[in-house]
Amino acid sequence: MKKLFCLLLALCMVLSLAACGGSASSGSSAPAADSGEEAPASAASGDTLKIGVISPNTGNLAAYGTGIHTGAELAVEEINAAGGILGQQVELVELDDRADPTECLNAFNNLVSQGIGLIIGSATSGATSAITGPANEEEVVIIAPTATADSITTEDDYIFRVCYADSAQGAIAAAYAKTAGFDKVGIVYCAGDVYSSGLKDSFSAACAEQGIEVVATESSAALTTTEYTNQFTAMVNAGVDFVYAPYYYDVIGPYVIPQARAAGYDGVIMGADGYDTTPDYVREADAPAFNNIYWTNHYFAGDTSEKVTSFVAAYKDKFGSEPSAFGATGYDSVYVYKAAIEAAGSADPAAVRDALADTSTVYECVSGTFSFDVSGTPVKGAPVITFKDNGDGTIGMELVDVVEASDLA
Amino acid sequence: MSTFIQTVIVGLRLGSVYALIALGYTMVYGIIRLINFAHGDFIMVGGYTIIFTVPLVLALGLPAWAAVLAAVAVCALVGMGTEIIAYRPVRKKGTNMSALITAIAMSLFLENLAQAIPAIGPNPKVADQIFTAGGFKIGSVTFEYTTVITIVISAVIMIVLYMFTQKTRLGRAMRCVSEDKSAATLMGINVNHTIILTFAIGSALAAVAALMYMAQYPRIYTTLGSDLGIKAFVSAVLGGIGIIPGAVLGGFVVGLFESFTTSYISSSLADAVVFLILIVVLLLKPAGIMGKNVGEKV
Repeated sequence: MKKLFCLLLALCMVLSLAACGGSASSGSSAPAADSGEEAPASAASGDTLKIGVISPNTGNLAAYGTGIHTGAELAVEEINAAGGILGQQVELVELDDRADPTECLNAFNNLVSQGIGLIIGSATSGATSAITGPANEEEVVIIAPTATADSITTEDDYIFRVCYADSAQGAIAAAYAKTAGFDKVGIVYCAGDVYSSGLKDSFSAACAEQGIEVVATESSAALTTTEYTNQFTAMVNAGVDFVYAPYYYDVIGPYVIPQARAAGYDGVIMGADGYDTTPDYVREADAPAFNNIYWTNHYFAGDTSEKVTSFVAAYKDKFGSEPSAFGATGYDSVYVYKAAIEAAGSADPAAVRDALADTSTVYECVSGTFSFDVSGTPVKGAPVITFKDNGDGTIGMELVDVVEASDLA
Repeated sequence: MSTFIQTVIVGLRLGSVYALIALGYTMVYGIIRLINFAHGDFIMVGGYTIIFTVPLVLALGLPAWAAVLAAVAVCALVGMGTEIIAYRPVRKKGTNMSALITAIAMSLFLENLAQAIPAIGPNPKVADQIFTAGGFKIGSVTFEYTTVITIVISAVIMIVLYMFTQKTRLGRAMRCVSEDKSAATLMGINVNHTIILTFAIGSALAAVAALMYMAQYPRIYTTLGSDLGIKAFVSAVLGGIGIIPGAVLGGFVVGLFESFTTSYISSSLADAVVFLILIVVLLLKPAGIMGKNVGEKV
């Protein structure tokens, strides 16, 4: 097995060297080209305005990537039909990162070497954190549709996102626990993942503020872990009726929830935006386990606001299914770029960055109306959604509550 | 006490899957001294075969687990095919090292081939319920039917396999080839047939392991084999690679250690402890728990 690792490592090194070579050569040509070559390059590629999209289109979290790139495609189709941005037609260059940091960096380098300076991506915080540093170095703008870890955006950088940060998400969950009357809670999280452990930290911090006691904390080692029975047995022994379990849909659906119920844990399980698309990954026989489960999301497809209903109708029309929250944030990312490019009057990355950094601009999006804070993260609330067993082997969703940004302050 | 029993059950059900997979590694290693890295991927092949044949089997009015018969057939064919097309020619011309690299290549080939098939694709699939849902309670401990069935079937298969290698002519032939190929040839044993038979049995076990795995953990994806393969390989080495009871023991040791670490030490240390145990055992007993230290004949 060591041999396999050596081989894989060698392969990764070769690939990353190749990738570095690519960006280095474009970097070295940049100084000479600053005034001359770069402008014609964008003009040459340029009857179209290119936006890169990096998302996990294959692999364990493929449902996320599918949502993001279909949402972005829908937005681009609408924009192009309405005459484009600043008179230019928009073209998406879509790459797959399989939710893997290395793949994400490779995709990023590939886009940069094509001269693309505006990027949407990626879905997971783990993958996105691999490209935030390089994006600042290369002065490339990134709008992350759903990377929620607090560390993704910082002040004075090129990174923005259209989703709230995990500190907000954890606070919403804690506020929900408080209003539902739980003063003792447990946490089960993945110690080997940025997203899951970040949410655990923000949830426990918010609990401390709310005066909720975290009486039991259990973890799993990696996202590939399949066994969660012991963790939930510990929750039962600790006597808690509310467990915060921030995981992704690919383990929530087949493993975490059925095993939690089998271990005798019947209380509330609360999660975050990673729970989106879970109903597609549940065995029919496990459907009865999916009651008493709550999670925070970016938007609710059943929302009756005009913005959401027209988006859902257009998406269904084009792709034949209801858009996930990832579809909504992918769609929103394109429109935020459109607003910023129009405000800047050009698609030059530095100018777009400055336009995005203006915290007074209000964006009216499917996933809420918001403006950015100084770090580039939206200030907005979140819907709290619950799963319910439909009784026929399928799982439905219901809106429980909408927590506004002002409620949290 | 109930936590203790629950922990043992979880350990046994993890261990029974590891043990079944470890058997495949150990059988092939025992006979041709090759670590068959593609073995984990045979499980993936078996898993997808089960997913695709379950609707067919249900339509015929049979229970869902009967799909394992198709998976056994497909896996045995894939295993024998791998041996005939890839391993045997390389073994004849190359060294042990080139055979090992071929095994790695075969593993990556199978994973990527599966992704390229449109019906499989790179996205995970969720399997249907395979055994009767539900369970029974003794005290405060829940025994799920699926878990009980998994442990029982694994135990039965291991005993049958052990009897097969000890008591039957074919099993004896396998042990002979494993000990000394040229002497086995002189005794009139067809070495190539015996090796192919080993691959067929090892791969068929992978199909059964796939059924057991999917009954417990109903998600399957193309790189499943490498994730599961590592732990199973560790189990085989821990128990003493090449020794059938050793693989079983190793599987249960790894499963139980994983479960007990999760319950009583720290759940995020489960994997670290498993690999630490491997290092400690190999330091104390380099041939594995059941391995015999055979001195080199000079």
